[in-house]
Amino acid sequence: MESGTIVRWLKSEGEPVAKGEPLYELDTDKVTQEVEAEASGVLLKIAVAEGEVEVGRTIAFIGKEGETVAVEAPAPQPKGPDTETVSDTVPEPKRVSEPTTNGRIKASPLARRLARERGIDLASLRGSGPEGRIVAQDVESPAPAAARPASPVASGEVQSQPLSNIRRTIARRLTEAWTVPAFMLTVSADMTRANELVARRRELEPDVRVTVTDLLTRVCAQALVRHPGMNVQYTEDALLSFPNANVGIAVAAPQGLVVPVVHNAEQLSLSQIAQARGDLVGRARDAKLRAEDLEGGTFTISNLGMFEVDQFVAVLNRPQASILAVGATRDQVVPVDGDLHVLPMMTMTLTCDHRAVDGATGAEFLKTIKTFLEDPGLAL
Amino acid sequence: MPELSYREAVRDALATAMRQDDGVFIMGEDIAEMGGSMGVTSGMLEEFGRERVRNTPISEMALAGAAIGAALQGMRPVAEIMYEDFMTLAAEQVVNQAAKLRYMSGGQLTVPVVFRTQGGAGWSPGAQHAQQLEAWFVHIPGLKVVFASTPEDVRGLLWSAIYDDNPVVFFEHRTLYGIKGDVPEKIEPIPIGKARVHRRGEDVTVIATGRLVHESLAAAEEAEKQGVSVEVVDPRTLQPLDEETLVASVKKTNRAVVAHEAVTRMGFGAEVASVLQYQAFDWLDAPIERVGAKFSPLPFAPVMEQFVVPHMEDVLEAIMRTVGRGN
Repeated sequence: MESGTIVRWLKSEGEPVAKGEPLYELDTDKVTQEVEAEASGVLLKIAVAEGEVEVGRTIAFIGKEGETVAVEAPAPQPKGPDTETVSDTVPEPKRVSEPTTNGRIKASPLARRLARERGIDLASLRGSGPEGRIVAQDVESPAPAAARPASPVASGEVQSQPLSNIRRTIARRLTEAWTVPAFMLTVSADMTRANELVARRRELEPDVRVTVTDLLTRVCAQALVRHPGMNVQYTEDALLSFPNANVGIAVAAPQGLVVPVVHNAEQLSLSQIAQARGDLVGRARDAKLRAEDLEGGTFTISNLGMFEVDQFVAVLNRPQASILAVGATRDQVVPVDGDLHVLPMMTMTLTCDHRAVDGATGAEFLKTIKTFLEDPGLAL
Repeated sequence: MPELSYREAVRDALATAMRQDDGVFIMGEDIAEMGGSMGVTSGMLEEFGRERVRNTPISEMALAGAAIGAALQGMRPVAEIMYEDFMTLAAEQVVNQAAKLRYMSGGQLTVPVVFRTQGGAGWSPGAQHAQQLEAWFVHIPGLKVVFASTPEDVRGLLWSAIYDDNPVVFFEHRTLYGIKGDVPEKIEPIPIGKARVHRRGEDVTVIATGRLVHESLAAAEEAEKQGVSVEVVDPRTLQPLDEETLVASVKKTNRAVVAHEAVTRMGFGAEVASVLQYQAFDWLDAPIERVGAKFSPLPFAPVMEQFVVPHMEDVLEAIMRTVGRGN
């Protein structure tokens, strides 16, 4: 994480703040989160009211009541750009007119900068300034779509929605991942015993709803420990090997794809994993993930089985070296020792960064996963 | 704190400097018995005598040249040019001599001279006696240019101008001589090159000089009633310009109006607008508005003069345009 965008402050200057209280909302390239105060006292000064700010900049001061602060002084990076405060008392514009659209969008320099910083497409905004110019206020609080002519939207009309930070990040990271030489390996596993185990665990511990994804997390973490050559990352200078299996789980949150991480999954029991996973997924859906929830992953599981997908290929979640794409479990006719059996089969595809991992390494790893799933006792 | 008029504040700076320093003296047309055309130097002849309060012939070029000569010899003369329109007659000496000698002598010469002058519309003095020509002199490397708008500022800045080792063209505005204001008990020098924020605001910065500082403060009051918060900044020194203060203010408010009485076209405000657009480009939420006189010689007829030069209403309209509420 290099920078984040301060969305709004939840406390105002002069207000008392207790350590641990939500202080402001931060939009990073991974998540929108409430950031808690790190100290108790009075919020003396907000140095950065909103907008993008690099990591390490001083954005506010908490201190004793009556204390004065020099806004610029303690900034660790003196080269930082001037702080700026965007006035929020801009009066209501009187005249509203349509922007002239002969190619060029009329927008003030400030509005352009704010839109750039927040990843908002100017074309999606309506200007309230003179001659339809887009001014800062239009970027900060865009007129709702209802402000457009009230007639129903014509069918087939293209709707333009500004890109959110998270959508931009997904686009950037996946485009980067696409440039990585990758190979894919597919295997199917008999899920009879895995399903039995999950069902039995739910009976025994109804409070902890264990899922197949939890078992997969456990299985993958154990497999990573047994195949340290898979728990790696390729960098320009070196191959990094990780001591712990930090397993990311792809979650379709309302605001877009996020991958919260179950840290040290190799040390967690199945129910501990289920609890951690339940907490992470719940907060992902509520957009309450913290930055540390998203960092440090060494491997990712993407499970689309619940959507009846038979099998698919996942794009690498850079900088991780591999990702497992998991499909639905289906009854299939499988020949076993010369007989035909109907077995619940699940197909998984492992995508590997070929710069870091060779085919055989990936295949051995995938075989271990298959073995663990078919005989889950081995992984417990 | 004592209260002084702008006129008294100028006189106080001159007289105090003359009392403490034999090198300071004043010269100009009719400044002795008559006390100058604006009465600024009234009574000074009695206190300081004819040697130090010198009437000169009606030749601005000669009196400016004599003042420069005295400055070169180590005096600190303050020459009064009765109307700034007549600075055109002194221009050769001011522009080609005073501004250049320190540079051309490789620093061997200094020219600690002050050219005090006054002008401005308001009393219908006509096209040859009411111009605002500060833009002519801010264009000359080697000159410092001051334009003070309050009694406190005019006293503190004139003091700094007298003790500056470079030539200073010191503009006063005719309609301000009567205004009164608190000044510190003892003269506190105001550094040349420092702007003054007269009023804090959030939505628009008005950068104004001379009479327009007062028009802008009145416009700010009115704008406030209409929900627009206005910051009013007086650069006070036009050369060198306190760019930092002006830019910081505009970065805060995101909108700017530049106001002076001089003709808008090619004026001082154009330079300010250029500084702002370059240094605060990404902070601007509206085009920079400029307020100044219409491009016309000043009419003699009072109603016409009133029409040509800017007033509070013009500043207010410009403020409202920057927030998208103008015409």
